[in-house]
Amino acid sequence: MKKDTILTVENLEISVKKNKIIKNISLSFYKNNVTAIMGPSGCGKTTLIRALNRMHDLDKSFKVKGSITFDTQNLLKSDPILVRQQIGMVFQRPNPFPNMSIYENVLAGYILNGIKLSKDEKDSIVDINLKKVGLYDEVSDNIHRKGSHLSGGQQQRLCIARTLAMKPKVLLLDEPTSALDPKATTRIENLINELKKEVSIIMVTHNIEQASRVSDYTAFLYLGDLIEYNTTETIFTVPKDKRTEEYLSRKYG
Amino acid sequence: MNPDKSNLKKRLLKNNVFYQSIKLFSYALLIPLAFILFYIIKNGISYLNLDFLIKMPAPVGETGGGALNAIIGSFLIVGLSGLIAVPLGILIGIFLAEFKEHKINDLTRLSIETLQGIPSIIYGIVAYVWFVMPFGKFSGISASIALALMMLPMVAKATEESMKMIPYTLKEASYALGANYYSTIKKVILPSCRKGIISGILIGISRILGETAPLLFTAFGNAFLNFNMAKPINALPLLIYNYASSPYQEWHQIAWSSSLFLIIIVLGLSIIAKNVIK
Repeated sequence: MKKDTILTVENLEISVKKNKIIKNISLSFYKNNVTAIMGPSGCGKTTLIRALNRMHDLDKSFKVKGSITFDTQNLLKSDPILVRQQIGMVFQRPNPFPNMSIYENVLAGYILNGIKLSKDEKDSIVDINLKKVGLYDEVSDNIHRKGSHLSGGQQQRLCIARTLAMKPKVLLLDEPTSALDPKATTRIENLINELKKEVSIIMVTHNIEQASRVSDYTAFLYLGDLIEYNTTETIFTVPKDKRTEEYLSRKYG
Repeated sequence: MNPDKSNLKKRLLKNNVFYQSIKLFSYALLIPLAFILFYIIKNGISYLNLDFLIKMPAPVGETGGGALNAIIGSFLIVGLSGLIAVPLGILIGIFLAEFKEHKINDLTRLSIETLQGIPSIIYGIVAYVWFVMPFGKFSGISASIALALMMLPMVAKATEESMKMIPYTLKEASYALGANYYSTIKKVILPSCRKGIISGILIGISRILGETAPLLFTAFGNAFLNFNMAKPINALPLLIYNYASSPYQEWHQIAWSSSLFLIIIVLGLSIIAKNVIK
């Protein structure tokens, strides 16, 4: 099964004050697939995913070396603002903007980047993206109320809608369900399955079952090294490395 | 081990004494406030009518009249102070909260905290030396600058404190959508701290509204109605100060009413500031 690649990471090395968090990782992510990055706590999975849209620029103590190629451009040498507009990110904890209504939250990317839209354009962006995340029917009556009144799961879907509204090519999800209850988690997982038709998804998860349920490819990280990367089926049925096998059978984690 | 009954009684008694004294002293604190309010209301209420708001002070010997020139002067001076102190204070607050690693951050914090502790008359003298002496005249502008310096630390501190409460994840969310630093601060962080900043501004205004000492060296006072901030101008605290120390009974009345008027505004601002935060 050969797929188009969307992102290629080569010799990526990330360190914080001489501590190497990611040690020389190379891998390719595939278009319109869900790739799960998993591994025990402290293995560097969040650090890896945050490098993909230059979130490490916010903290000067992070040093990132190597290259990340997206559409022939090296993301590590591009303008971070342009990178983040093409590669969206959803975080662990739902973080809708408390000063904005649900409507404005979906449009936040446009508002924050000073992109002017007509009323019709705004309405259609909000409608389409709220429908995509299945929030439209739940909030259509109070779309101009603050987003912070929603439940945790609804807030997280609002955050996904806000990211999708910018039409990113890649969607990064950093443990998107770790703060949610099982029901809300299932909704998000179904949503991820729907969304991969239009966007390539890379997600970090510490939930082994979640990786097996939603991902097409799985990367297993351990202490900053990429131990194994393959289709999810292969990883879960015939892992090549002993450490992967032990992690999957919960010897550590 | 059996519980010691006698010891228990002692402890309960101690507890009760402590609890009762907290209540007692809290209520005791209300007594001076109640006396001040009672005295000012009793003396000021009779002249606090429409005339007080729309008429000029009456000449000596005549009854009636108001404090129009002082009311307008106070609002002009405090308004201009706000225009100076609010934007500057917010910018300094952002700097204090955001650039903790910067080499002059500690120095800025020290300056702001020192400004807060300086007696108000010093501000008057400084504004006198900076803006009254060079131009050779007292002015509303110099008063506004003195009061703006007093208000500045309150706005800066309120901004810093409310920005500290904003979770870092909001900033990340904004960056992740491709926003730059400026629009993140302007469209996400500051609007999220709006309540804290507004309440800081209101408390700052209510603080400088009653300041007398800085005005003695700057606004100086004016018996006539004046809208020109480049000239000497009257203000409520100045009017109270001048009229209360005058020998005329009618002027004492106006001073009482002005005090009541000031207290009503300051109390109102404090109540609004409290409700804004909720």
